[in-house]
Order: sequence, then structure tokens, then C-alpha cells
Amino acid sequence: MTAVRDTTSASLDALAAEAATGALTGERGVFYLAAGRVVHVESAHTPGLGVLLTRGGALAEDGWWEAVDRDGARHRVGRRLVDSGRVAAGALEVCHLGALFDAAYFALAHDPRAHRFRPGAAHWLGALRPVPVATVLRESRRRRDLLHEIWPDPLVDVAPLARVPGARATALPARRARVLDRVDGVRTAADIAEDLAFRTYHTLVELRRLAADGLVTTAPRVPARPGPAAPDPCGTAWDDPDAALLRRLRDALEAL
Amino acid sequence: MPGIDESLLEAMRLPGARGAWLVDWISGLALGAVGEAPGGDAETTAAETAELARHAAESGALAPGGGDGAVGSEPPVEDLIVTTGDSYHLIRFVSTPFDSTVFLHLWLDRGEGNLALARIRLGETAARLVLG
Repeated sequence: MTAVRDTTSASLDALAAEAATGALTGERGVFYLAAGRVVHVESAHTPGLGVLLTRGGALAEDGWWEAVDRDGARHRVGRRLVDSGRVAAGALEVCHLGALFDAAYFALAHDPRAHRFRPGAAHWLGALRPVPVATVLRESRRRRDLLHEIWPDPLVDVAPLARVPGARATALPARRARVLDRVDGVRTAADIAEDLAFRTYHTLVELRRLAADGLVTTAPRVPARPGPAAPDPCGTAWDDPDAALLRRLRDALEAL
Repeated sequence: MPGIDESLLEAMRLPGARGAWLVDWISGLALGAVGEAPGGDAETTAAETAELARHAAESGALAPGGGDGAVGSEPPVEDLIVTTGDSYHLIRFVSTPFDSTVFLHLWLDRGEGNLALARIRLGETAARLVLG
């Protein structure tokens, strides 16, 4: 199939035009399509639907796993959650769309190449509220522009973050304050999102606003820890047999 | 149990209703839309009202008790009413037990709409959307 030789966005466009069903795997995420529409997206950079629902308290973890066990193979986990009364239909749609657009943003960042398309592959969640490919692509572009307008430093999105020394935060909105509380010089935006069970893009928005307010910056590079696992490249070079041999050779050449 | 579309259609049954949307106030994304959009473009409407809603949601001065909104009651503002020469815009925040940041936006004709009724009904619709 020609689609998988292109970038992720071009592949999605082609698959939408073919009304394809299956899973498109790219470098940064997986898009599940049904009849050319996006039914779900997963990315390692964003919390999944299960994390968002169970960690927020909308659903007990037992209930989530029971639904996955019983109906995962039949791709009906979403319907099972609603039919069993564990989650309201509207709540599930809202949470699902939140996770879908969040994962899509990261899966499409820098528009990496698509690796492969598995025709017919379906997601265990099932189709809850399919979204046109064009909407997903347009929204991801709009989200990128929105971040740029807030604070045009993309490093904030991927680097470990630190508080700006001496800067005092006053009267932050509750959500932004919770994000700031987790900024510790080590965690990245994705770590903070996972920790709070927040969508990662929405965490990026808060972090860029905090950066724009002069409260958060990218952490200084952490020096390599001393110890056997992280040898000092200069100090140990002279103890290396090859280096010692070269040194003797050099000394011999100079003596000539 | 109503999903997003059923909830929006329910809101559209109110007298004078012209359009209804479910919008994320941080990203500006419309998760659902029915009826007309002011200016004809639902996505632009959603992005602009999201910015208005965000300022209200993040306002420390408007929050009950002066700002430190307790976790779980986010956002501290329940609704917003914007009145123009010919319309009411009613924005109702939807509280969810997971990370969502959404509101319902109902556009009402000012001559036909009943603001007090719409405000009560939209609150009920917001609750049913999340609780079933």
C-alpha cells in the first residue's frame, strides 16, 4: 500500500479517501480507523483512557479491567462500560475524545513517517464517536499554533523542567498550581501529566503559561553521576589499554 | 443515557435555541455542535468562547471563598451569561470526575428565549451528560 511510505498525516489522508479500516502505526503513536474515520489514537506520551478514568475516580480499577477482560477481544469495552452502568455515555465520550485528540497531537508532532498499516485491525475500546481525519489533522495544527502563541519555546514540552529561582507565584488558577507543584527539576511535561492523570497537551498549555509568566524554565543539564556505570571520559581514557599503548608509541616516536 | 449529541439536541429543544456546542475551554476544540453558529463557523465560535470561558474559569476574584478553589470543584464558576442586542449566550461548565475542562454553550434568540428556564435546564443537561 502506498499510504505507508508517506508521512503520518499524508497516510491518514490517503486512508480516509479509501475509507480504510485498520491501524496505522507511526513513530510516535497508533491511529485506529474504521471506514476512513479515526476511532481511537494511542501515544506513549499521553495517558490512556483507562488512566484518565480510573485515576480521576470516575471508575474503579476493577471495573475497568473487568470490562477489558470480558469485551476486549470483541472490541466492545466502551459499550460494556456504559451498558453495565459503570460510566455514563456522555462522560465516556468526553473522556474518550479528550484522550483521542491528546494522543493525536503527539503522534502527529513533527509529522513523522508512518511505519505500517494493518488492514482490519480494530481497537479493543470499539467505535464510540468516530472523528473525520481532516478534523484530527486540523485540530493538531491549531493546537501547535496555540502553544506557540502562549510561549514560543518547544523545549518546554520535552525537557525536564525547573522552577525559576526567586520567582513567586501568586493566585494561580487551581489547575496551574497543581502542575507547578510537580515541577521539580527532573520531571518532564509528560511525567507531570501522568502523575496528575491530566491530558498531556493540556499540561503543556499550563506549563507554557507558567514559562511565559517567568515561573518555570527548562532544567539545567544534569551532570553525569559519578560511579562505575558512568565513567568520566577524560579520567579513564589513560587507563585504557589502547590509550596506554598509543602513549607508549607516541613516546617512542618522539624519542627517535 | 444521553451522549454528547443527545445532550446538545436536548438543549436545542428549549424555546429560541439557535445553536449548541460542547467545547473544551483549554484547547478551544468543539467536541460536538448542533444548529447554527454565530458568524457561520462553529470552530471559530468555539475557540473564541473557550477563551472567554477560560478567563472566567481561572479567575481568582470570582471564585467562591476568594480564589483557592478546592480540588474537585473545578472550575469554581458555574455559568456565564452574555447578552447581546438579539441573543443570549449561556455557557455552563461541566464538572467531571476526570480531566476534561469542557462547557456547554447554548445560543438563544433574545426575543423567543427564556433565560431563567434555559439556565436551569442547561444545568440539568450538564449533570446528565456526566452522570447519566
